[in-house]
Amino acid sequence: MKWGLILAAGTVVVLSAQTPPGADLSGKAAAPIDLTGYWVAIVTEDWRYRMLTAPKGDYYSLPLTPEARKVADTWDAAQDVAQGKQCLAYGAPALMRQPARVHVTWDNDNALKVEVDAGKQTRLLAFGAPRQTGEATLQGSSTAQWQSPQITRFYTSKISARDADTPGFRGQAPAGEARPDTRKLGGTLKVVTTHLKPGYLRNNGVPYSANAVLTEYYDIHRDAGQEYLVITSVVDDPRYLYVPWVVSNQFRREADGSKWNPQPCDLILSSK
Amino acid sequence: MTKMGFSSTSLALAATLLAVPAFGQTDFAGEWAPLFHEDNPERLPGPELGDYMGIPINAAARLRGDSYDADRISIVTQYQCRPHGGDYSMRGLSNMRIDSIYDPVTQLLVGIHTRMNFQEQERTIWLDGRPHPSELAPHTFAGFSTAAWDGNMLNVYTDHLKDSYLRRNGLARSSKATFTEHWVRHGNYLTVITAITDPAFLTEPLVRSQNWILDPNQRIGRDVCEYGPEVPAPAGTVPAHLPGTNPFLHEVADWYGLPYEATRGGAETLYPEYQAKMPQPDTHPAKCERYCDCGNVGRGCNLFPAKR
Repeated sequence: MKWGLILAAGTVVVLSAQTPPGADLSGKAAAPIDLTGYWVAIVTEDWRYRMLTAPKGDYYSLPLTPEARKVADTWDAAQDVAQGKQCLAYGAPALMRQPARVHVTWDNDNALKVEVDAGKQTRLLAFGAPRQTGEATLQGSSTAQWQSPQITRFYTSKISARDADTPGFRGQAPAGEARPDTRKLGGTLKVVTTHLKPGYLRNNGVPYSANAVLTEYYDIHRDAGQEYLVITSVVDDPRYLYVPWVVSNQFRREADGSKWNPQPCDLILSSK
Repeated sequence: MTKMGFSSTSLALAATLLAVPAFGQTDFAGEWAPLFHEDNPERLPGPELGDYMGIPINAAARLRGDSYDADRISIVTQYQCRPHGGDYSMRGLSNMRIDSIYDPVTQLLVGIHTRMNFQEQERTIWLDGRPHPSELAPHTFAGFSTAAWDGNMLNVYTDHLKDSYLRRNGLARSSKATFTEHWVRHGNYLTVITAITDPAFLTEPLVRSQNWILDPNQRIGRDVCEYGPEVPAPAGTVPAHLPGTNPFLHEVADWYGLPYEATRGGAETLYPEYQAKMPQPDTHPAKCERYCDCGNVGRGCNLFPAKR
């Protein structure tokens, strides 16, 4: 019994030693990837839906409920303009899909500011407990969280311990680091956005409701000397979508903001 | 605690203490269903002729695309059972099963293996650090793939590809092309970003991404392809359009109300500033007339546009 308790205590020590060291840090200090800077959208997918406004009734690729279709069938672009609703396609669930440049900065130690030149929109991605006060807005209330790589434990044997340096054993803890720093190992920014004012998933009036929940994953990769950002976006809205709508948007890092070109939603919409 | 209980507890805890922490190494194994929430018209029924939108092609690729005649698949039997290239296979209509490959002795993960149900495509991505074969080694549709982890992302590099396509409407991808992939899993979603570099047909890397959802109940069956002449034609016929003679290239612009120049593709058209330069289309339908709700539950595809 005494030995069992000692061994159990030892196990707890091992498990707690694997707690990510960034857990007690601010969002900025714990950042495993650097999202700050200027990014430009690369429109290689859904080109005609993103660069232009599709005709009324074009719902291809969208898993719409009959109710959504009914609402979208009543869309009237001229009426939107007359009612000052030109920005409905620039709400958080569709914003990152617009052909746009994105500027990411730290607003404070626990909030990333994401500015988008198309439609002059700004999102705030706050680390910590969700804050939902006041009226719902086009950009909603976003809660951010870093996700570090999964920690996997290999159960070693004499053979695998001996071979731990083989190439297949990638991802092992850095040598001599008892409490490895996950900030060195890359990761993902997960953002959950709620408290949304209803808007459009597509420029041609395809709706999302006030109950829509947007979950996004921000990942960075490198190719041919360039840095890319991909935002995988999951829109869950049982009223208007019979399954979550999942898309991933590509951006490439730009050296500076020389091509930053803020345009109000109405100008962009009218040019399409 | 009995002596037996003490022993088994000790063994279990000792095994835990021997565990070596490692990072990344997301488990991709399982049955995955593709999500066609992007580019559905291209990926399911197939792209329109002359639709080069969103692809950073060069003039050579455009010429090849313009020469394409869809009858080629019906007449040239060698094309009928051709699988997608390793790059396009992640975008095509196909469910996927992923298996992990472990070294039987060390139990280290040495690769992942994918099977697509379309044309029963098989592909192995090696994680054991093996070198790529000589340039003279045969090229295949799947190519030769190796990968390494970067945190929770699996970075894959593939070369030794056979000629294939960037889009299934004659936009060619050469055997000189290579591509990288970045696999990342978020819960039950898998995102694979593909960046194709092709000195023959692209002016910059073509970066696209595909999303999948884990579907444990999915079972991939056989997909046996049998070829045979579908359209009568003399032996050796390869349907094609000579430069400047393809009468179908304006269809996509006319049907969807798009500026013809934009449908011709090219790197310039991929970026936000192209919106300001883009010419206005000749016509813009007030209402969708073709492929409006195709693929949605209970919805058909109105393939032939109403006359305006």
